[in-house]
Amino acid sequence: MHLWHCYRLILTFGQVLIDRAVVGILGTDYLKVRLDDREALLKLRNENEGLLLMTAHVGNWQATMAALDFLDSPVHLLMVREAGDIDRLYHEHGEGECPYRIIDPSGYLGGTLEMMGALKKGEIVCVMGDRLLGSDRSGVSVDFLGGEVSLPFSAYKIASATGAPIVIFFTCKEGGDRYRLELARVIRVPQLVGRKAELFTPYAAEFAAALEDFCQRNPYQYFNFFDMWLNTNDE
Amino acid sequence: MDIKEKLKKVIIEDLNLEDLTPEDIDDDAPLFGEGLELDSLDAVELVVLIQRHFGVEIENMEEGKPALQSINTLVAYIESRGQK
Repeated sequence: MHLWHCYRLILTFGQVLIDRAVVGILGTDYLKVRLDDREALLKLRNENEGLLLMTAHVGNWQATMAALDFLDSPVHLLMVREAGDIDRLYHEHGEGECPYRIIDPSGYLGGTLEMMGALKKGEIVCVMGDRLLGSDRSGVSVDFLGGEVSLPFSAYKIASATGAPIVIFFTCKEGGDRYRLELARVIRVPQLVGRKAELFTPYAAEFAAALEDFCQRNPYQYFNFFDMWLNTNDE
Repeated sequence: MDIKEKLKKVIIEDLNLEDLTPEDIDDDAPLFGEGLELDSLDAVELVVLIQRHFGVEIENMEEGKPALQSINTLVAYIESRGQK
């Protein structure tokens, strides 16, 4: 039974990788992406506080991001390219230009000033909510699928500082060339004072609950092949 | 209270640096890394507290990077933006 689950997971991952390459080579129109919450997203964008789009290593977020073009706003992506990384962004399979502005979390002050600057201009910043990219200090412990994981909280802190709403979204392969982009929930973080990580635990827990719900509905679409929550303090 | 003194006081209070007094903070020491040993998350807090206490907004990285080097550069930035 375990092997069957592994097979299903890896099969779906392979399909997603192929879709990603095809979109990079043939263009984003290749995929049919369904988005049900278009009006809600437009309403959030029109608040002019910027948008923090938060997702996870699920579905095919890269290739389906084009479905958000209607927001008509520059997109900044917080992403680290590690040395020896052979994983290609979708546009790198073809000749296309990078559709995002990459913010490097290993850059000056972890990219926090760049993120805040973009949000203040009303632009979009996209982050992964399930993986720590900085030090252990930037993580808080929350429950996830029966265990305890450490999730990053810097995005919640930035949302608190700028007033930007956090939109949690996940993409899901429905079959063939069809994907669904679902707006899981919107998190609003009030202005919080202080540097204690625990202030942001409720918001990370809300993200974890949304991701947990997605994983239970789509068990073969969470592509996490290593323990990215390993607590080095426990080693 | 002058800007420098107020700045040190609010940094200690808002960043919960209770072990420090304003006199402990070197005006020219780096705020991040060595020196005061703040980190990227503190940078967010710093940007907010400067706006809250001095009414001065750090708009982007081009402004923020030189301003956030030390207490003296931060004071100079606040003064240049009209806060007395």
